[in-house]
Amino acid sequence: MPLAFPLPSDLSPATVTNTASLLRIVTLCFVSGAAIASRLFAVINFESIIHEFDPWFNYRATRVLASKGFYEFWNWFDPSAWYPLGRVVGGTVYPGLMATSGVIYNFLHALNIPVDIRNICVMLAPGFSALTAWATYMFTKEMKDESAGLLAAAFIGIVPGYISRSVAGSYDNEAIAIFLLMFTFYLWIKALKLGSALFGTLAAVFYFYMVAAWGGYVFITNMIPLHGLVLMLMGRFSSRLYVAYSSWYAIGTLSSMQVPFVGFQPVSTSEHMAALGVFGLLQIVAFTQLVRSHVSSKQFQNLLFLALISIGVLGFFAMVGLTYKGKIAPWTGRFYSLWDTGYAKKHIPIIASVSEHQPTAWPSFFMDLQFLIFVFPAGVVLCFQQLRDEHIFVIIYAVMASYFAGVMVRLMLTLTPVVCVASAIAFSTLLDTYLDAKEPDDAEESTNVASPPSDAQASASKKNNKSAKPAAATPGNALTDLVAAAGKTKSKGIYGLDTRLAIIMNAIGMLAFFVWHCTWATSSAYSSPSVVLASTNPDGSQHIIDDFREAYYWLRQNTPETAVVMSWWDYGYQIAGMADRYTLVDNNTWNNTHIATVGKAMSSSEEVAYPILRKHDVDYVLVIFGGLLGYSGDDINKFLWMVRIAQGVWPEEIQEPNYFTPQGEYRVDDMASPAMKNSLMYKMSYYRFSELFGNAQALDRVRQQNVPKVGPTLDYLDEAYTTENWIVRIYEVRKEDLLGRDLKSANAFAKGKKRKRSKPAVSRRRSLK
Amino acid sequence: MILLPLLALCSLPLALAASADTHQKLVALAAAGGGVIKLDSDTFELLTTPNRDWSSSIHFTALDIRRRCSPCKEFNPSWIQVAKAWSKIRSAERDRHFFATLDFDEGQAVFQKLSLASAPAVYIYPATEGPRATNKAPLKYDFSQGFEPEPLAQQLSNHTPIPIPYTPPFDWARWITSVAGLLAFAVTIRFMSPILQSRWTWAIGTILTALVMNSGYMFTRIRNSPFVGGDGSWIAGGYQNQFGQEVQVISLVYGTLGFAFLMLIMIIPYQASGQRQRLQVYLWSSIIMIVYSILIVLFKVKNRGYPFKILL
Repeated sequence: MPLAFPLPSDLSPATVTNTASLLRIVTLCFVSGAAIASRLFAVINFESIIHEFDPWFNYRATRVLASKGFYEFWNWFDPSAWYPLGRVVGGTVYPGLMATSGVIYNFLHALNIPVDIRNICVMLAPGFSALTAWATYMFTKEMKDESAGLLAAAFIGIVPGYISRSVAGSYDNEAIAIFLLMFTFYLWIKALKLGSALFGTLAAVFYFYMVAAWGGYVFITNMIPLHGLVLMLMGRFSSRLYVAYSSWYAIGTLSSMQVPFVGFQPVSTSEHMAALGVFGLLQIVAFTQLVRSHVSSKQFQNLLFLALISIGVLGFFAMVGLTYKGKIAPWTGRFYSLWDTGYAKKHIPIIASVSEHQPTAWPSFFMDLQFLIFVFPAGVVLCFQQLRDEHIFVIIYAVMASYFAGVMVRLMLTLTPVVCVASAIAFSTLLDTYLDAKEPDDAEESTNVASPPSDAQASASKKNNKSAKPAAATPGNALTDLVAAAGKTKSKGIYGLDTRLAIIMNAIGMLAFFVWHCTWATSSAYSSPSVVLASTNPDGSQHIIDDFREAYYWLRQNTPETAVVMSWWDYGYQIAGMADRYTLVDNNTWNNTHIATVGKAMSSSEEVAYPILRKHDVDYVLVIFGGLLGYSGDDINKFLWMVRIAQGVWPEEIQEPNYFTPQGEYRVDDMASPAMKNSLMYKMSYYRFSELFGNAQALDRVRQQNVPKVGPTLDYLDEAYTTENWIVRIYEVRKEDLLGRDLKSANAFAKGKKRKRSKPAVSRRRSLK
Repeated sequence: MILLPLLALCSLPLALAASADTHQKLVALAAAGGGVIKLDSDTFELLTTPNRDWSSSIHFTALDIRRRCSPCKEFNPSWIQVAKAWSKIRSAERDRHFFATLDFDEGQAVFQKLSLASAPAVYIYPATEGPRATNKAPLKYDFSQGFEPEPLAQQLSNHTPIPIPYTPPFDWARWITSVAGLLAFAVTIRFMSPILQSRWTWAIGTILTALVMNSGYMFTRIRNSPFVGGDGSWIAGGYQNQFGQEVQVISLVYGTLGFAFLMLIMIIPYQASGQRQRLQVYLWSSIIMIVYSILIVLFKVKNRGYPFKILL
């Protein structure tokens, strides 16, 4: 075979393998470095700080774990959350993340490296992203080869779909969960390939770690059984499958039940039933195989086959019946809303209200995956071409994850690994094909023989065209050629150097574009801590808006330690983490009624809200207001969800339509509905807002509406603190009047508004009304 | 001063008698309408008389074709179904709550009096006397859960003496279709099995699913986004929004690009003629370049701050 470009011929095979493996190690190191480095934008642009909302709780829990030890953490009852109920943290948390940080902390301190626990928490996600790249390399290596593995590792290292959840400071369960997901899958594939109980057990151990770390472990719980089931349906049952699955399921399930938050769910809830069912089916199939190998009668085999199917069907119906009877718990709401997409909106507004539970529009897919999103289908087709057992896994994973990512934005995270793997398979096949120096034998003779008839045909079709008789001869011809080319098992290869260069330059260009895109997306979209906001001054320099911490530190330094702060649940963890005060509700949204109570207090008038506040010992109320700065994630924009959630519990007292104008618009200006204007939330947001503008019209920059000149008045609350940019406003709840008057009249008295004797008639008419 | 309560006391039996009379009339009207009282301005006053020991839910609608109220037509069957479910229970409870419909053309005055600007609307008038008396104002039913009968029955049940025994009608069409589909499948399985066992059938299915899902199909399903915009534009502005047609365009773009890659990987290397292969390499490479640029342009429409471009 001729070569397209010269290759060195004086290399021993040993040199080539050694160099290749050295290059692999170096490349993996560079990939890890890139993965870590690109996640540090947040630390460099801002500071080493915990981001967003949930991470603040994880951080707080980790601090307890690090300072008091694991047993104290396990038994930790937190009285300051969900006041007055409190929260049993040990039993309501996935402890994997905190335990991981705790182990790292203790390890480093044992080595006398005095690292602050905060820095471990901040840097945990970037660190684990390097491990994820390695796990993806191992996984993809099983699918194709090392070069595809390296590409996949590079892809997952910098792809925004994964970075969005794992920048430095985003100290959340997902930070370690994706590594565990990929590594468990790798071990499963390895166990299946080798039929090894050792790898099956290792898969179970990492499955346990995953269960301890993230609620999304259910994805593994269903992916592996589904893979096993499809393999059986395709007639690919083997003792390897039996050994791998049985060892994984038995050990994995038993160990997963050791996590208190999971408990007996693996044998009682519907999410886990698929794994149990496949386990049972596998035993039956294995038994059948055993019997078949000892019995030769054809009838008996048929009988067994029938028995197998009927047992399977019966088992399925038994499971449905048990679910119906309530012996097996039905699907949990969050899981159910994945399948019946209208379910959450109807029944559990609290799930529907979370922004990361919204469905995904296509720009998010492109933003998060860029060119991988369209190379990915090609990779899946290549898996179909090979169709070994492990390729079936990738195919199932691709379909399931595509669906889930479409339903919920946050599940883009589970789609990202498979997209990286599949597109790495496609891309590396492309590079393999066009980098190969071998040229096939020039088939000039055969084309010479073949070309005259095709020329004749083409000219004939041209003639046909001329004679106004359009024929489909040319496309038909091309198609037959194509099929023939695909069908022939003759030499494969690329002719010439220019074609190679064209493809390779193209590919390099695409990869470079991908790197630019990822860097841009990471730095501009995914690296904001959301605790600290950044804006640009007119001269282009960065201006930091630090209102949240300003407010939380004010609370910390100016209020008694037992003060109860009421806010919408989004800010519960931050208040607990930064201000260290009691909160009514937080991001662990386990008690819908409690949240609805807060929603009711926020959405009803002061007179109605005051008894609720007093009954819950609320000292301070905190609202987020973006109207001055144009910060759109504020409470007035979330207000309708508060109304909806409150309406779910008190449909008589709170009704969503009352908060719209008669025209059905959501307004905050003069036209706003009375219920809106009287609501505590509205009053607290716009209290004294118009005074800022002097004589000019007060403008709410988020809603782009003019706020009434005469702002709302407050009788039951006092403004306690408002931050620099008015983003956080804190109000103190007044105590009952000492003289027993209601606060409204007491207030009026204090302001010196006496009953006016000049207009007695008016007031009498009013009292009659 | 004593006279006033006395007078009231005297008039009480009278009022009771009157209301009992009205009640009989309403029961008769409900029976005549098959569970729903067809109201006009006069009977509306009767039904919502200030002294009533019954509650009622009143459906305001405009069913006349000239009014062009398509939501009214959509909601009306649900209303009738729920009312029918209510009319089937024992009369002791049934006659304590009435279902009534007032068409716009029958009682414009009432619509004006209640300043109703849109139809359909459902108001619940609670009882003002008797054991279930409350002094609450009429409640408006919230259509946020759609026009389906289930949420309607569920919500109204909060205001009726006993819950409305509404069960959704058996969906015969769906069952027959699925049974027929299964039968057809069983009959044709002999001919279908080669197709079903071909991996490429499954490959096509998988790829199509992935393409459609990755183009935001579920978003349009869940959000019920329209196929095209009101002004005829097919691409929605905004990063977190899209129309139905975008799913088709984007999946076509992704599909073309993926197909081009497959051509480069799976077909072109097997070409026997060097010249033809070269042509195809350049052809598909340029297709990738052009379609990719178009994709970037489309993405720039959605995300205006995107700083990159390829050709266009």
